[in-house]
Amino acid sequence: MTAKTRNIRVDYLARVEGEGALHVKIRGDKVTDVQLRIFEPPRFFEALLRGRAFTEAPDITARICGICPIAYQMSAVHAMEDALSVRVDGQLRALRRLLYCGEWIESHALHVYMLHAPDFLGYPDAIRMAKDHREAVQRGLQLKKAGNDVVTLLGGREIHPISVRVGGFYRVPTCAELRPLAERLQWARDAALETVRWVGGFSFPDFEYDYEFVALCHPDEYPFNEGRIRSSHGLDTTAREYDTHFIEHHVQHSNALHSTIRGGGAYCVGPLARYALNFERLSPLAKDAARAAGLAASCRNPFKSIIVRAVEMLWACDEALRIIGAYEPPQLACVEVQPRAAIGYACTEAPRGLLYHRYRLDADGTIVDAKIVPPTSQNQKMIEDDLTRFVAARLDLAHEQLTLQCEQAIRNYDPCISCATHFLTLRVDRQ
Amino acid sequence: MPARVIALGQAAAGDDGVAFAVLERLRARGVPPGVELLRAAEDFALVPLLETPATVVIVDAVLQNPPGRVLELTPEDLASAGHRAVSTHGVGICQAIELARTLTPAQSAASIRIVAVTISRPRRYVQRLSPAVAAAVPAAVERVLALVGG
Repeated sequence: MTAKTRNIRVDYLARVEGEGALHVKIRGDKVTDVQLRIFEPPRFFEALLRGRAFTEAPDITARICGICPIAYQMSAVHAMEDALSVRVDGQLRALRRLLYCGEWIESHALHVYMLHAPDFLGYPDAIRMAKDHREAVQRGLQLKKAGNDVVTLLGGREIHPISVRVGGFYRVPTCAELRPLAERLQWARDAALETVRWVGGFSFPDFEYDYEFVALCHPDEYPFNEGRIRSSHGLDTTAREYDTHFIEHHVQHSNALHSTIRGGGAYCVGPLARYALNFERLSPLAKDAARAAGLAASCRNPFKSIIVRAVEMLWACDEALRIIGAYEPPQLACVEVQPRAAIGYACTEAPRGLLYHRYRLDADGTIVDAKIVPPTSQNQKMIEDDLTRFVAARLDLAHEQLTLQCEQAIRNYDPCISCATHFLTLRVDRQ
Repeated sequence: MPARVIALGQAAAGDDGVAFAVLERLRARGVPPGVELLRAAEDFALVPLLETPATVVIVDAVLQNPPGRVLELTPEDLASAGHRAVSTHGVGICQAIELARTLTPAQSAASIRIVAVTISRPRRYVQRLSPAVAAAVPAAVERVLALVGG
């Protein structure tokens, strides 16, 4: 190593989902290359779906992720229903939103408390953090459990639920079954509000960027399953037009395809994007909490995504309680679905962002081909771009501090490499 | 004696579901009064289940060759001996136990034992055990019963 040549190498980045690596090359005072290397072998889910019945897609795609199986199920059922011209409405639609609330609560609680908060409080992991912040970690675990309870009741079990089907559910809950859940969610709403206050007090690196945010936008609701795909830079389209506007690229250093906007570049999906494009659709409680935590109606500092996740967790508790309060069990747990040859498209909002599914079916409903674009795949290039800008402005930082902040910058996106194809290793190479 | 047997694993990943086969065999055979048979869907879900005065026996698969051996381990053994539990989220049994003991030191189970069945790394979606691992289930059941006074 000389004055102009430095090598920084970290072989294991913890607290992300899946296996991968980051390699940053610095020559002199310039960052010359940043590669988020996802070396997890491809899992071939799209190929696995070919030849299977359209009814199997929700259960097969749920296996892509143990943290966000509902997202995969929701995108799958909505794409199938788009293909088969089926509309699921009323209480069944509301139950799907309630199920998604559960997944957001458990996924955001896991990331905020167990994976991301240790970065801000200076601990290597949640276990070491628990020694000094016992009450907070217990609150995080209880919040996660509250989310899991929603998924268990509606989905049949907490991981890889089994009651979601094209056209609705195999079984819907009774009012009596939802009542105890509402009690737990009232506690969770208070705990989520406390979470927003807690993370709002953290210190954040001074780092902002004019991201092209992309998220679903619905005229009346904070988005889960429906809405137009909009961007902060003017894109306004539908899931049916997704392939026209978003291009997937293979890059040599990643087994997950990169995505860019056609004619543009990297874009950002996830909590920051949803929040910026849908702030007005948050509940009054969530909006007030966001403002009190220092957030404007848009947040362009990715490190503050921890506050936005906490706000979304609060909103999800609020929304879940609203749905339970208005619940009347539907006469039927699902609507009838008849197969036909067609193509179906859907985007839904996974905890980590926009999740696109497309299926082509033959006349008897067999899946001819499938395309799935997870949020982490879409964010890969933006993570690399963030690191390029972030490192370039911090070359004077001590090696260990810079390395830690690089890891933190990656965790801003709560990457689920398991979804995109599993574990992250960070290597910063200075020459 | 009061005891809590907790099975961990993933039934869709073949041999990683061996703990559930052990649990079902225990259920079918019957366990002494005061013995609970539970499943934990993931390692974080293990944390509140460890808050008990009962003896805890965790049944799980560990990656080690040859497959089909039954091991009885302490959490310390598991942490130090290089046995690798199957976990997809960077949190394993050891971390869950450490977290439980950190959060509720006075209430966490004083006695925790792990009955582990060695397996090869699961490579594909399969909902059955390999012959070698299936053959280890009766021995694992006997080991659990010995620990819970059965």
